[in-house]
Amino acid sequence: MDRAWWAKVLMIVGITAIATWYLIPTFFYFKLPADVRNDTEVLQKALPSWAPSAKHKLNLGLDLQGGIHLVMRVDVDKALRTKTETRTEQIKSTLKDKNIAGAEAKALPDDLRVQLTFNNADSAKSAEKIISDYYQDMHVASGTDTTVLLAFNDQDIKRAKTDAVDQAVKTIRNRVDQFGVAEPEISKRGSDSISIELPGLKDPERVKDLIGQTAQLQFKIVDDDNTEAQNLFSDVQLPPGVTLCARSNHCANAENVPFLQGPDRKVLKELTQGKAPEGDEIALEKQESPGQAPTYRTYLLKSKTEATGENLIDAHAALDQTGGGRPYVSFEWNPLGAQDFERLTENNIRHRMAIILDDQVMSAPVIQSKISAHGQITLGSNKDYNALLAEAQDLSLVLKSGALPAPVTIGEERTVGASLGEELISRGWKSCALGILLVVIFMALYYKLTGVIADLALVLNALLVLAVMALFNSTLSLPGIAGFVLTLGIAVDANVLINERIREETRAGRTPRGAVEQGYGRAFWTIFDAHVTSLIAGFVLRQYGTGPVRGFATTLIIGILASLFTSIVVTRVCVDYLLKNVFAKKISV
Amino acid sequence: MELIKHNPNIDFIKYRKVAVFGSLAVNLFVLILLAVRGLNMGVDFAGGSELEAHFTRPVSASDVRKAVESAGFKEPQVQEYGAAEEHAFLIRIGKVSIVTPEQASQVEAAVKSALGTDLADYRFDPDQGDKFEVRTKGGTDTKTAPDEKALRAAIEGKGVGVMGVTVKPEPNGQGFNVEITTRGVASKLETAFSQLNGTGTATANPNDEIIRRIDYVGPQVGKELRNRGIMAVVYAMVSILLYVFFRFDFRFAPGGVVALIHDVVVVLGYYVVSHREFNLIAVSVLLTIVGYSINDTIVVYDRIRENMQKLRGKDFPTIINISINETLSRTILTSGATALSLVGLLFFSVGSIWDFAMAMMVGIITGTYSSIYIASPVTIWLEEQFGRHGHLSGSSGNQKTAAA
Repeated sequence: MDRAWWAKVLMIVGITAIATWYLIPTFFYFKLPADVRNDTEVLQKALPSWAPSAKHKLNLGLDLQGGIHLVMRVDVDKALRTKTETRTEQIKSTLKDKNIAGAEAKALPDDLRVQLTFNNADSAKSAEKIISDYYQDMHVASGTDTTVLLAFNDQDIKRAKTDAVDQAVKTIRNRVDQFGVAEPEISKRGSDSISIELPGLKDPERVKDLIGQTAQLQFKIVDDDNTEAQNLFSDVQLPPGVTLCARSNHCANAENVPFLQGPDRKVLKELTQGKAPEGDEIALEKQESPGQAPTYRTYLLKSKTEATGENLIDAHAALDQTGGGRPYVSFEWNPLGAQDFERLTENNIRHRMAIILDDQVMSAPVIQSKISAHGQITLGSNKDYNALLAEAQDLSLVLKSGALPAPVTIGEERTVGASLGEELISRGWKSCALGILLVVIFMALYYKLTGVIADLALVLNALLVLAVMALFNSTLSLPGIAGFVLTLGIAVDANVLINERIREETRAGRTPRGAVEQGYGRAFWTIFDAHVTSLIAGFVLRQYGTGPVRGFATTLIIGILASLFTSIVVTRVCVDYLLKNVFAKKISV
Repeated sequence: MELIKHNPNIDFIKYRKVAVFGSLAVNLFVLILLAVRGLNMGVDFAGGSELEAHFTRPVSASDVRKAVESAGFKEPQVQEYGAAEEHAFLIRIGKVSIVTPEQASQVEAAVKSALGTDLADYRFDPDQGDKFEVRTKGGTDTKTAPDEKALRAAIEGKGVGVMGVTVKPEPNGQGFNVEITTRGVASKLETAFSQLNGTGTATANPNDEIIRRIDYVGPQVGKELRNRGIMAVVYAMVSILLYVFFRFDFRFAPGGVVALIHDVVVVLGYYVVSHREFNLIAVSVLLTIVGYSINDTIVVYDRIRENMQKLRGKDFPTIINISINETLSRTILTSGATALSLVGLLFFSVGSIWDFAMAMMVGIITGTYSSIYIASPVTIWLEEQFGRHGHLSGSSGNQKTAAA
């Protein structure tokens, strides 16, 4: 056998060995009793020291092994009371804007009402008119000449309740997805609860912490006054695509402190590593414009976190009533947050304040005046109205996804069995095994020795798929198994294509060696096209799909790549070997 | 061993019109049925009722499932719940309300007479389960609170069983919110469960109740997620179309996609006709069939492309027919092998996994059929319609003009 053949054999043996090695944690996982195996520490202890870390194991989805069932109750009443308080502040500023003198607004949160008092009946009348124009979800419940009692409309209360729960479902889904638990089941239950099921997790405390928290929102001051930073990045070798914007190189948008711009977040991160002066840090902002790939720019920030999003209550996009209808983002603090924010803004007027969500700068507006409970973020003005409005809406959504609309409490926490049901699963495994066995026997009978080789490739294919999934700690659920069945089908198909081609070529009178050459050569492009189309489908589904669709796509992609390798490389190596002796005169196909 | 003669020489193309019209009829039938009757959406998509059942002795999940099915609720999801010694199960069923309109009006009458002028708002929405929502007016003073027992008695006096009555003050302090859950679903299930529980009859003591709780659950896959899923499949199809367009020939792409749509519709047809529950598992079947259908069609196309080079001088339909014949043994073998892997599931599994296997089987059969009788005829038809003027590769176009 020549060297190229030996090199291939070595590669196949190596890949098989590595795949098997990565399946060790999964093997031990299934050997442990079901009630302890989901504890990573227990699994790690059970593993031999030379095995991969317990992190690299295959997980089973909720449908196959069950998990934790949590019920979170959303305190919708609290959400309504908060809404009443927020609304009172809004009404106050509206009345002030409209110059209604001597008007006072007081929140009656327990009754979900706002009480207004006026100096005279005239201002009460005009205020009533203004408010009914501005806030159509409220009506005048009762009043005298100088007092007005505003209440929310019944259907608006109902809608606010549903919105609060829907918003909480969304926020929780975002968070659980970030947490990396594959395919959680999250649904609304009853009128004020959310039911959450997470596969196999043995660590409900961590999950509960995560769900109960607000996202990491921080406010820091942009260090524009730093005179030492004038030459920041001047010694940096700029890779292609990255540009330096500074006064020294006459950049049009230059600021006091030079900044870098580029399409790749990672590259910028590496370039700026360790560049910040003492007491400062460098953060990135993602800049998007319609129809273009996002770019990133750097900011020099003071390291001190001035305020965090812990105390944020609400955020929404609004239109500036006085300034020609410009969109802005309005946000609300609770009293504690308002205190911090007031101090921050008072001390930094005319400075830029970076709003940072999960370590990324979202926006860096200039502080125009002292802001307390009720702040707003004005957005850059070099865009058209629609782009600005969209940006304001996006930003408010981000801020809101950080803030749960109402407090949530854990109602109950139980373990649940597999959602498919244990007995369905055990039957399912057995019948799956039977099905695969039938295919293996059939291939061996139909194609004889080459069929056995194809079977070998099939087994290796399955091994590779499971190993790669274990490597990435993926979750296998029923949709994933469907993807797996499909890739096995495609792998069988590749071998059938090759073997049928070899038969055809043999019939056409070729020698065994010639038939194999031609068979593999001609079948290659067919196999390639069939695999590539499926691969494209897999990538698109993974990119745009959610939950189970993604699970399906992931197994499909891994399986297709494995199938290309096993059907073309692995079987060829075996057949080449047999051509030397067994198939020298007559090929068994 | 050889199952299929190596060159069967069947004239597939001859029957293409019959096949295409037949398929069209089947597809239309499915689409009409889909519009008229719709899919039987499972809890995953439509929401449903979730209830918690506690038994006094160990019972198996499969027995609970059978009991739920015998009470007339199809395809329930039964999960063990909590610690083993609780003998508890979480059951989800798709049908949320079994209150008849007569019963609903009985409840309404009872509530109206019991609360009299205190009644502010009365609401019954069958989509929210066997649940009646009532609001009273006149403040949240405990003296004015509606009497739970009296309400229960009034409704039960009309012959409608009551599961529970909860009275809560409204957040705005304007009255009370009363939720009444009738026993519709619960009592039906309890009768079925009582045999499992060994009590023989439905228990009268509320503390021994098998069904502790019944709630409406929203869909796990809401509209937004569902639309994203559908868009994902559409994008996938468009990408495949583009690939086939560039790798093969622009005439090939539409045929492949039509075959794909055909297969998806036929598999949907399985769920529409059998009225089995359409859930996330069904979605994964559809995705699998999309993948399978493409794979199958590409292999036939590949041979057509090869033969267009090799068999210059033959007309397009003939080339297609030869190509189909040449790949026939491969097509049948692959489909057969994939179908074989499902045989185990079809014989030994039950419930949603059986549906999974059955729908896959339907998909494999139609996927095989469509690459022969849908993809290629569409390609021929396009050739006949536009071939003379458009961009042509290979020799088939010349041949056609010569023959014409």
